Amino acid sequence: MNARIPLLGGVLSALLLSGCAGSQQQSSNEALEAARSSFQAVKENSDVLRSAPKDVIRAGESLARADRLSSYWGSTDDVSHYAYLSQRYSEIAGQNSALNLNQERAAKLELERQRLQLALREAKLLSVQEQSNWLEEQMVSLATSETERGLVMTLGDVLFDAGQANLKASANRTVLKLVQFLQLNPRRVVRIEGYTDSRGDKLENLELSRARAQTVADVLIDLGIDSKRIEVQGHGESFPVAENASAMGRAQNRRVEIVFSDEQGRLGLAR
Amino acid sequence: MVVLSLTGCASDPAPTEQLRLTEQALAQAKAVGADEQVAELAMAEAKLLQAQSAMQRDAFKEARVLAEQAELDARLAEARVLTQKSQDQLNELNNRINRLRKQLGEL
Repeated sequence: MNARIPLLGGVLSALLLSGCAGSQQQSSNEALEAARSSFQAVKENSDVLRSAPKDVIRAGESLARADRLSSYWGSTDDVSHYAYLSQRYSEIAGQNSALNLNQERAAKLELERQRLQLALREAKLLSVQEQSNWLEEQMVSLATSETERGLVMTLGDVLFDAGQANLKASANRTVLKLVQFLQLNPRRVVRIEGYTDSRGDKLENLELSRARAQTVADVLIDLGIDSKRIEVQGHGESFPVAENASAMGRAQNRRVEIVFSDEQGRLGLAR
Repeated sequence: MVVLSLTGCASDPAPTEQLRLTEQALAQAKAVGADEQVAELAMAEAKLLQAQSAMQRDAFKEARVLAEQAELDARLAEARVLTQKSQDQLNELNNRINRLRKQLGEL
């Protein structure tokens, strides 16, 4: 009987040990399985193989190492480690492949954008030529004035759909002039500032003024002006140019102003 | 067994080169704009700190394991940021193309 006591102790401690090792074993097995399925997924994806072959190979090597180690006793930490590395390599391969696909798509889209930009420019020029005579009278406020803020051009409310940010086709001529001017003066930059009258909600007015200014900026960018040359600001109902009591005054207050920098590209301070 | 694994530890060379690689990978991830918002970058930084402190204790194996993981964490963070940027660029291009199409349709 006595002889069995140390034996029992031995069995107990062996059980304890294996219990502890067992949970580690389990987590390293899980890591290994996760790494295996990640690797399987990238290995079978031809896009990933094409754009990140090195990372896929490394994912496979690390996985093989984890696999080998898993047959040795007492190496669960190493198994977890190499499974972790394999998993990471698979994830990196996946990301690099997505990046590559995005870049390929971007190159194609960029060509499409240039083609459309050219088509739009031609179409606008054509429509300006066709309409130029009566457009001259229709143009309401294309006024450039020298103020303490520098050269300022005002786009009147009539160029926008009522209460909306969309530019009407009748704004084409003004916009083209602007583009032409900016192309002839490549160092000049502009700040596009939107304003509204004082009717309606203050916040909505601020939002609308900004959206209108942004619309003008977007059109300039679409026609080939570098977005770095354009700042956009919404002022809402601040800085009215006329009283808001009459319909005429309000119409004057609803406007987009384009502030030009000097020839060196220096803009006056924002309001 | 115990003796073996102890000597195993002691014979692990100091992973100086691996730490350099890890620091380089972290610097590169930050250079492309990865910050603490990217989970893997935060992990990489934490593991690098742990690896450096393991180096001080001459726990070279621990330092190497941590540094190896941190390097790949950082590389994944970098890849994620670059992919996100390319996605943003694609979205912007698509917006511009839609705007151009809309304008062409209105003429």
